[in-house]
Amino acid sequence: MIFKKKAAQNAEVNSSGENAIANKEIEGLSQGQIVRRRFFRHRAAVFSLGVILFIVVFVFTALDFRFLGIWHVKGWWKWSPEDIPDLRYGDCPNDTVGCPTISLLPKALGGNGIGLGDHPFGQDDIGRDFFSLVMKGTQRSLSVMVVIGFLGGTIGTIVGSISGYYRGKVDAVLMRFTDFIITIPAIIIGSVVGYHFGNLGAIFLAFYLGLFAWTGLSRLVRGEFLTLREREFVDAARVAGASNRRIIFKHILPNAVGVIIVSVTLLLSGAILLETALSYIGFGVVEPDVSLGLLINKYQDSFTTRPWLFWYPGLFIISIALSINFIGDGLRDAFDPRQRRRISKKERQESASARKLAQAHD
Amino acid sequence: MKLNRNAKYAFAVAAAAALAVSLLTPAQAATRSTVILHETNPITGLNCSLSATNSTTCSAVSYLQGAGFNYYNNKKELVKNTIFGSYKITKKSATDFRVQYTVNPGRVWSDGTPIDGVDLLLSHVLGSDAYSIAAGLGDPKSKTAKPAFNGLGYSGVYADNIVGEPVLSADKMSVTLQYKKPIANWDLYGPGPAAVHTLVLMADGKTSLQTAAVNQDAKDRFLAAFKAKDTALLKKMGKIWSEDYTITTVDSKTNPLLLVSNGGFILDSAVAKTSVTLVKNPKYNSGPAMSGTIDKVVFKFIGDGTAAAQALANGELDVYAGQATADGVAKLKAISAVNLVGVNNVAYEHWDLHYDTVPDEAPYTGLFSVKDGAKSLALRKAFLLAIPRNEIMEKLIAPINGVTTPIQSTWVSPGSATYDKVTAANGSAFYSRGTQETRNASALALVQKYYPNALKQPLKVRVLVPGNNPRRASEFALAKANMAKVGFELVGDVRTDWPSKLGNSDYDAYFFAWVASSVTQRQSAEVFDTNGGNNILGYSNPAVDGIISTLDVPMSDSLLAAKYIQIERLTNADAVTIGVFVHPGVVAVNKDLKNVKPAPLSPQMVWNYWEWTY
Amino acid sequence: MLAFIMRRLGILSVILFGSSFILYNMAAISGDPLADLKLSTDPNRDFLVASLTRELQLDVPPPARYFLWIKGIFGIFIGKPDFGMSRDGSTVAHSLALAIPVTIRLVLAATIFAIVLGIAIGIVTALRQYSRFDYSMTFVSFLMFSLPIFWVAVLLKEYLAISFNNFLREPKVPLGWIIGISLFSAIFWASVIGGSRKAFWTAFFSAALIAGSIVTLFSVSGWFLNPGLGPIVITAMSVGIAYGVTQLSVGLINKAALKASLTMAGLSLVFYYPAQWVFDKHPGSLPVFLMACVTITIAVFVGLSYSKIDRAPIVRTTIITAVLSAGLVVVDKFMQTWKPYMETDAINYRPVPTIGQRSDLLDTPDYWLKSLDIVTHLFLPTVALTLISFAGYIRYSRGTLLEVLNQDYIRTARAKGLTERTVIMRHAFRNTMIPLTTIMVVDFAGVIGGALITESVFGWSGMGTLFRQGLLGYDLNLLMGVFFITATLSVLANLVADLLYSALDPRIRVGGGA
Repeated sequence: MIFKKKAAQNAEVNSSGENAIANKEIEGLSQGQIVRRRFFRHRAAVFSLGVILFIVVFVFTALDFRFLGIWHVKGWWKWSPEDIPDLRYGDCPNDTVGCPTISLLPKALGGNGIGLGDHPFGQDDIGRDFFSLVMKGTQRSLSVMVVIGFLGGTIGTIVGSISGYYRGKVDAVLMRFTDFIITIPAIIIGSVVGYHFGNLGAIFLAFYLGLFAWTGLSRLVRGEFLTLREREFVDAARVAGASNRRIIFKHILPNAVGVIIVSVTLLLSGAILLETALSYIGFGVVEPDVSLGLLINKYQDSFTTRPWLFWYPGLFIISIALSINFIGDGLRDAFDPRQRRRISKKERQESASARKLAQAHD
Repeated sequence: MKLNRNAKYAFAVAAAAALAVSLLTPAQAATRSTVILHETNPITGLNCSLSATNSTTCSAVSYLQGAGFNYYNNKKELVKNTIFGSYKITKKSATDFRVQYTVNPGRVWSDGTPIDGVDLLLSHVLGSDAYSIAAGLGDPKSKTAKPAFNGLGYSGVYADNIVGEPVLSADKMSVTLQYKKPIANWDLYGPGPAAVHTLVLMADGKTSLQTAAVNQDAKDRFLAAFKAKDTALLKKMGKIWSEDYTITTVDSKTNPLLLVSNGGFILDSAVAKTSVTLVKNPKYNSGPAMSGTIDKVVFKFIGDGTAAAQALANGELDVYAGQATADGVAKLKAISAVNLVGVNNVAYEHWDLHYDTVPDEAPYTGLFSVKDGAKSLALRKAFLLAIPRNEIMEKLIAPINGVTTPIQSTWVSPGSATYDKVTAANGSAFYSRGTQETRNASALALVQKYYPNALKQPLKVRVLVPGNNPRRASEFALAKANMAKVGFELVGDVRTDWPSKLGNSDYDAYFFAWVASSVTQRQSAEVFDTNGGNNILGYSNPAVDGIISTLDVPMSDSLLAAKYIQIERLTNADAVTIGVFVHPGVVAVNKDLKNVKPAPLSPQMVWNYWEWTY
Repeated sequence: MLAFIMRRLGILSVILFGSSFILYNMAAISGDPLADLKLSTDPNRDFLVASLTRELQLDVPPPARYFLWIKGIFGIFIGKPDFGMSRDGSTVAHSLALAIPVTIRLVLAATIFAIVLGIAIGIVTALRQYSRFDYSMTFVSFLMFSLPIFWVAVLLKEYLAISFNNFLREPKVPLGWIIGISLFSAIFWASVIGGSRKAFWTAFFSAALIAGSIVTLFSVSGWFLNPGLGPIVITAMSVGIAYGVTQLSVGLINKAALKASLTMAGLSLVFYYPAQWVFDKHPGSLPVFLMACVTITIAVFVGLSYSKIDRAPIVRTTIITAVLSAGLVVVDKFMQTWKPYMETDAINYRPVPTIGQRSDLLDTPDYWLKSLDIVTHLFLPTVALTLISFAGYIRYSRGTLLEVLNQDYIRTARAKGLTERTVIMRHAFRNTMIPLTTIMVVDFAGVIGGALITESVFGWSGMGTLFRQGLLGYDLNLLMGVFFITATLSVLANLVADLLYSALDPRIRVGGGA
């Protein structure tokens, strides 16, 4: 069964051929359509996209949503992180308190039936519902991720493309500025900000981290621009009288978008880990604000005693980071026009026979 | 090809296994004689009296290497070390107070040099500002120049009260100190022995242990220099004392003169920021005899608590000491080879309410300002009543050490002899009688007397919340939830720079912990005295000031307790502060290691090292 | 070229000056060194505050204090830079000198493992794109990449150290584990080898059988307590290595290379007992190094004597085989040391430590015991660092190789009838290494200052610990000292990467842009 599928895949891959121009499959499609098609063929990426979308919707609708005090949407989950319900004593394993009420084992098999219970992920030390804490933490971590990704992506792309396109003095100045930013450890900024404005919350943290996260991307984009600007289509655009801005944004950038998207996805999954690492040293999100990084730091010790406090936030971190990476992987493959190529067995044999032939002629 | 290789691999392994002979049976390990202790922070030097090296770890390491006239035990009592020497008051009047310290004959340093009264004189150089100035060693209070002995001992009680210089007896075994008045806790400020001859030798540039005659000569030279205030020699010694002991690596290349000491152990080796190894001092006779089987003690520095607990579980540590968390304790309990010992730290958590403007701050006009008279008093009382102290204890402290009752006094700590007597009469009952529900009810009544609408329009209370501290975040969350029931809305300002914000008029309430690293009669006086250094509330009550001013003379325990009761009655009536819990610590000890009795005060768990045994 | 480098270096020093100025002032306002004293109830608190203020020159405003610091650094031009004193009374230069080797020891092995493993797996996944192996390796690498290091550390310590040490008390592998290990290696090797259905199942069952029987043998023979390879296994493995290396580098078709490699493999048996004698009688790093030199010299001669034409690749193959086989002999020596090591008082049958750089109690002059002690202490941190960092290399090498494989010159190479091995190893792999090399250079510079959390959870005191100490302890001189080293390294590494890139890839001209 598995092998049939693989064979089918092989066939498909082979038929796509090497040359994009000769490729029937994508004839007459815009680049967007090609990319979409290819992306949706990457099963892991599509699955991950589903997971991420699910997590986002699930998490952002769970708790009450307030916006500037005007807009207030009720969440579907009964507790909020501010509530302090009674702590569950007595019936938890190993004399612990606040164990999770989630149950996945049906009654027929000796379990408690399938259900969430009052506190599916358990409760923290003082009885707060851990599910709501994880939900809020995930919201924060996702927001941090998006802000860092957006800021880092935008700045990196702009600096990199200007630098790579104009070369010369502009490039020198911008790249040395990039070097300058590289030398300043973000953690120092973290400590200053944490010390003076520790209570400004996760989004602020994400904002300043984003201001320092773009350096790698800008170097990549610059490299891409340096090669692309020498290509024929750019010359053509220039001859046709296109302005520099138009060439950069309409002609070169779409060709570099693969590189950008891939690094931005890496940046996103890196961001969630960076926030966790900062929490470990004490410069991350500060309580009473919650983030996934903060939660798993706080409950490192719980690993053997109250494992639910350690695993649930960890599970969310891993699922998010993993999904983002797979989506990035899918996008990378989708954006690379030459990507659908693999060495088939047939070709190997052909090459071997060619070799024999060559030897025979020796 | 891979398969091919694997096949060969398997064949070969099979052949080797066939050839392999001896099946092992693990041998029984011999009785251990080594203790590996965990410390969170590394030592930064061997002389703990410098600002660069001062730490609890350093005190513990040097305690093993040095014995003096007294030490703190695990009940916070100061115990006399009669094996080393003795001390007594020889004269006591309102203007002349003398104490004589005598070293028992026959005590020796680890290099064999006898210890005598001369070795006690260096304490004076290190503690007296006047001597430092007179001997040309520099003014310790100077803003620009460091004194020759750049230590932390100056400008204290000793410097303020000492008269003249210590007088050495004819047989050179005792020194007598003269103070200008009887001072409370005078036994804390007495001299300690220092191997002055090594300082002189090192000032001469010596880098190896010397003969007895040379050592004696060096000691005599110090005595002469001390008496004559010989700036040149003392300065050279001061440079050695201030700079040469800040080493963190000790190996065969280290000057052995730096390591001469009189404790049960001497320093053998140290790896910077990693560990310190001490071995038994064969010439030790300055303290209780070593009754145990320990001949090597290793301090291992591990900053990460989880890592240290896992190291303990893996048998890499024998004693773990750390900040306790509920999970940490549960985890340690689960390790079968380990005994868990609870210990109280010296820090106590409390809530403070702003009373009046603190000097150098903007005027305080908030909710609790004393200027509002009866109204603010009622609000302060209501606030203290509504702090859910029992809930905090049950949820945050009991899982660690099982203690469920909050502390009732901020002057004496639970477990001390007079605690029950003081708390029975100090007015703390007002804040702890009944249940939290009844207390909430009385708090609400107090609030509604002035703000009938408080439940609908709660009074905003601005609280300074220490950042980066999970326990305090939980504590605040609990308080906030309960306060809502009596008409207070707590507005927390979470700050990591909170110590510099204490006393700031932007806050109505604070909660944090004071650290009391010694037991003195003045105890919490600095917090409540109008001009006290720790008075962050702007608290001022002439009656309290009056009682505090009488605490400076030595007095009996019962009289002292009576004074504490008087003070606490007043402060409780003014409703300015309330204690919650003593910070719990946890010590986990290898089950085979006996007699480890952790203590709250420095040197903490090593205080009775001579009793340790496997 | 030289002018370009000089100009870049000039600009770099200006950058360093600017960023250090900013950093110094930032760090100066990032905390209050007097905060602790504010909570103290000591009677001479005011004196303590004054003395600390004097010590740290707190009354000098930070921008001015910066110039006091940089004055010392400028000593670098007269060959005597002064990094100042750290708050703990030691000189910063001394602390740095102690910390740098520790950090290098910690990250070197892990970085090398991560690179080698990452690139190897990356190449296989690229060659087997969209196969099960590709998917599962991608999954595993992303999973590792997504884990916070302190998390990985907690888990590794729990299972690889504490549980493994407990297991060693009675080292019998339970049946469930044997089956699990067999299945795992079966699936792993079957996916790597791939091919037809028959090949797949052959690989599957052989791998399962081999792994299962090895583990069982280990278990019943008490191998975990007294491991070793012995001359026979070493010879067998060396022969395998000879075949493998030859196949990868020049192809088995090259008989000269194969013969030379096999000779070296055979020599590893001949020299096994003499080597043991040297290990025992003259322990130390120098003899091991000399023996390595001798091995390489012999390999060169053997390689030369077998080859007639095209000598360089053959000699290279022989050297690689020789070094790997000799490595086995050293590994065997370590395995022999395992038993005495476990029996020492310090180790007491718990050989895998969770913390520290060496055992504090192991007081032995024995070179091999000491070396093994270092190896065991490196074990967990290296595994942890490798796990979380090899994912990046897998992704890079996979992506780059896929890109390279689509280049025209690869098509040309295939068209002219080169073997697949030659196409991949000679043409594709080398071009893949160009961008990877530059990434590695930057990475190496990065890890020197970057292992902050790893050092903390494994109780090592390297550069990360210094950085943390400087930051949290408000120790400006120390912090700036660490910064000076890491920032200099990182800008230099970027420069080197640029130069290297242009050196390796003739299409890129240096100085074109700047």
